[in-house]
Amino acid sequence: MAIQVHQFHPTVSYGDAVGNHVLSIQRLLRRLGYRSEIFCEHLPTHFEGRARQITQYARYSSPGNILVLHFSLGYSQEVMDWLEQIPDRKVVLYHNITPHTYFAGINDVYLEAAQAGRQQLRQLSTLTEEGWGVSEYNCRELAEHGWTRLGVLPIVFDPARYTARPNRKVLKRWQGGLNVLFVGRISPNKRFEDLILAFYYLKRFVRPDARLLLVGSAHGLEHYLEFLQALVKRLNLSDVVFTGHVSSSELTAYYRCASLYLSMSEHEGFGVPLLESMYFGVPIVAYRAAALPETLDGSGVLVTSKHYAAVAELIGLLVEDDALRGRIIARQRERLQDFLPEGVEVQLRRLLHRLGV
Amino acid sequence: MNKDWLEISDEGVNVQEIMRRIRERIARRDGMVFSGDTENPISVADALWQEMIEDLSGEQGASPTLSIRRRDCDIVPRHYVIDWRIPILGPIHAVVRRIINDEIRRYLMSSLRKQSSLNRRVVQLLRDLEQENARLRQEIEDLRRTQE
Repeated sequence: MAIQVHQFHPTVSYGDAVGNHVLSIQRLLRRLGYRSEIFCEHLPTHFEGRARQITQYARYSSPGNILVLHFSLGYSQEVMDWLEQIPDRKVVLYHNITPHTYFAGINDVYLEAAQAGRQQLRQLSTLTEEGWGVSEYNCRELAEHGWTRLGVLPIVFDPARYTARPNRKVLKRWQGGLNVLFVGRISPNKRFEDLILAFYYLKRFVRPDARLLLVGSAHGLEHYLEFLQALVKRLNLSDVVFTGHVSSSELTAYYRCASLYLSMSEHEGFGVPLLESMYFGVPIVAYRAAALPETLDGSGVLVTSKHYAAVAELIGLLVEDDALRGRIIARQRERLQDFLPEGVEVQLRRLLHRLGV
Repeated sequence: MNKDWLEISDEGVNVQEIMRRIRERIARRDGMVFSGDTENPISVADALWQEMIEDLSGEQGASPTLSIRRRDCDIVPRHYVIDWRIPILGPIHAVVRRIINDEIRRYLMSSLRKQSSLNRRVVQLLRDLEQENARLRQEIEDLRRTQE
């Protein structure tokens, strides 16, 4: 009978980084010949058939199984109790948790959840055999919380997920001109205010035709969005677009319209939009923070401080200098190869081999 | 901007030359001020953060029993933005909504401001009373102890 390697995450959905990763890992595990199911505490109806509720895990549970626990937000007490009870061998796969201080004054529920999630890390270290991170950056944090056996299993980039035809309305509206793109939840750790300030200089002094396209949902962080909109208004800036949540065809269209991807984020456990930018041939400029330098690994352009005027001039240069932009895009394409399913499969096989399965 | 500000790991790219070009471009814009810019944008962002977010986070835990914060007192919708996403019809729709919104605000804003001000005063009064209550309880406790 095939060895079972299952996965758990409190909830899964299409389109979010962790949900996509869970599905990709399942595909790889099955390709490697393991029996693999996804288990959730809250199962969205559109996911029925693709994942199961943890109440059904009893049928699968066995001391010979490996259960991969995706950890990107705190688990409920019920889940922690369940993990203590089941005899399966467990491994945590850490996607990182935004430091709680970023949510102060913005969302108390998120603040408490982030705080509780970090506290649970230490508890999880006693329940699991190994700690895996989607980046070395995450592994370092696992080590600080008591794990000694560590491993990196990066995010899988599956090009098949981006085959949706780009949304025509988005293309028609935004194609042409200089479009600076950022993709991600409107969350304070991503420092949207820094994007807006850099854009202020770009628009006022370098390229008056520039647009700033901010793609991502503000759900639960509406107060931060209010602040950002007020800032745009106070600076009298035009052409700053908050799109809200977008479909996959709209997302593809925004990447197709983008002249450049700009990140001023201060905390990222990995940075999936960087891979998407690499795939769509969009040059990346990112502030050197958290796991971003590791994800780029020498590709793209990093800046070490938030000198807004210099960032704006750099954007101007990159857009004007075709040769420089071409070299950056080529290097990014090379880096993307490391995240394709074939590459990650090798790393997954190595980690499972170390566990003796 | 220090000499290591920019990182491009490509031997074929002269990073120092790019930095020189950036500095040159910044110097060229030096002294350029637009008629609409009266304040430094970074100061504007800091002040707004202070006004809208930091003030509120500082209040957390001010009183364990009275958990009403200034955000809850202020009911004036100062930062409400009416925007559009749909081409052609979107701007028309937004203009209509803005006109209606402005008209409603004309009647409502003064009342909302008065109510917000009253809310703040009531919360402040409750906090003062809470402190006074705690002080008096302590005093009674001390008196009791001295009598025993």
